[in-house]
Amino acid sequence: MPELDELESRLDALTEADFQQGLEVFRGKLKKAEASYLNSCVHCGLCASSCHYHRMDSTLENIPAHKLELISSVFKRNFTTMGRIAPGLVGAKPFDREMAKAWIDAVFGRCSLCGRCSINCTIGIALPKIFRAARAALGAMGLVPPDLQATVDNSLLHGNNMAVTKQDWVETVQWIEEELQLETGDPGAKLPLDKQGAKFLFTVNPREPKFFPLSLQASAKVFWAAKEDWTLASDGGWDLTNYGLFNCNDEQAGTITKHLVDAMARLGCKTLVIGECGHGYGAARWEGPEWLRKSYPFEVKSILELMDEYVRDGRIQLDPSKNTAPVTLHDPCNLVRHGGICEAQRRVLRKATTNFTEMTPNRVENFCCGGGGGQLAMARYKQRRIQSGGMKAEQIKASGAKVVVAPCHNCIDQLMELNKEYQLNVQIKTVAEMVAEALIPNP
Amino acid sequence: MSPVVCNGQSVELSEEGFLVDPSLWNEELAVLLAKAEEGLDQLTDDHWSVIRFIRGHFVANNNAPMVRSICKTTGVPLKRIYELFPSGPAKGACKLAGLPKPDGCV
Repeated sequence: MPELDELESRLDALTEADFQQGLEVFRGKLKKAEASYLNSCVHCGLCASSCHYHRMDSTLENIPAHKLELISSVFKRNFTTMGRIAPGLVGAKPFDREMAKAWIDAVFGRCSLCGRCSINCTIGIALPKIFRAARAALGAMGLVPPDLQATVDNSLLHGNNMAVTKQDWVETVQWIEEELQLETGDPGAKLPLDKQGAKFLFTVNPREPKFFPLSLQASAKVFWAAKEDWTLASDGGWDLTNYGLFNCNDEQAGTITKHLVDAMARLGCKTLVIGECGHGYGAARWEGPEWLRKSYPFEVKSILELMDEYVRDGRIQLDPSKNTAPVTLHDPCNLVRHGGICEAQRRVLRKATTNFTEMTPNRVENFCCGGGGGQLAMARYKQRRIQSGGMKAEQIKASGAKVVVAPCHNCIDQLMELNKEYQLNVQIKTVAEMVAEALIPNP
Repeated sequence: MSPVVCNGQSVELSEEGFLVDPSLWNEELAVLLAKAEEGLDQLTDDHWSVIRFIRGHFVANNNAPMVRSICKTTGVPLKRIYELFPSGPAKGACKLAGLPKPDGCV
């Protein structure tokens, strides 16, 4: 494991100044209310059963309150009077090599920042906020797992997280346009690039052009059927992802957000439309203005909201008998629990399918697929990722569904692996793929 | 992850089942990975044309090709790629071609 060695050698090389830097960043990330959470846990244990890591492997290290404890012990030692005078009495511990290693294991290795612990916490401790502050501190010390950082670096260097070149992107868009014209029989079906003044700037996950363009074709087909005025950016600002949400470096996250803001300004679009992606929606809709420290001069919507409006307003007609296999819906944490997009996808699916069943639990109480929080990018934690995803696999099995719809490409990749590992024998699709299948062509 | 043994030589795999050292790749190894990672007992001509194209692209450019290039060059239709490699172009085809795991949501 060369990468593991890389983190280990970085831990060995840490200087006192690095630890101070980490502490400073940690302190700077916490608002007053969050700092008070560090002394608020009543050890009720409700978070344990709410966490998919702990549900699938009940070790102490997987209890969210235990992860929190690691962080609060350092906070107490460095930022409270009692912690400085009598550390042993208040459970205060120094921030040293072993503690930094334990933080990495807890906040990168055993947490997908899904937030389920937080909504089930007796006193509402915002655990993901605190874990993100700890990730930021580790980042300031050069302790982000290298493959997660590489994904951020790709966005910073190439404008998208898979280092797709402009030429490759444009050629793929043109190819999908040809495919869409074949599929619809309409030579006027387009994937418009750089259409100045279009109403919507649509953004996608680089995974789509790189490896899975059928979802892009499906989204384009829906826009075609709704006669929408939309465009894609040819260069910079077509990628909706932002792994700055996961390495928790707000400056880098802000720079990546700016790719979208600049594309909106360049093309003069009214609304930034985020394709089916959990973290991308959360990052662009909720976090972006915070990172940039200013509000956007445009609105941000999920494509799920648009599809919901098309169905409601009769702009697209659907034939649910095109999708008769039992279907269930996965709720991506960043889209639903953190993002607030909850009912739009359900209303659409009920119109596009004949046999829709909810997983239990669902909506804000959904379980993470196990691939969130950057887990999919951190190869070293693969076994835990697959094991913790067992919770989702059980839910899918219990639903009896043959098709799992997931409005998030990150979740889709994890679900594809769960499908294989747990032999679920399901198909995994985006909402747009279901809608595209059910579309009744306009007269 | 436990290493695979190819021609008497032990070859190390990453946690995700990708070759730790992509330069060690050869076609016998692709056959072993196909069985171990994708559950494929046999690789057809279509499998091989996809794998060989991806490998050639990687050697020349040090990255994975776009799925468009795979389809255009090999003539294998897109939907067929997903049938040939159940884990998809990245975790399926690129893995069998001995590439490192791509960055991003894969």
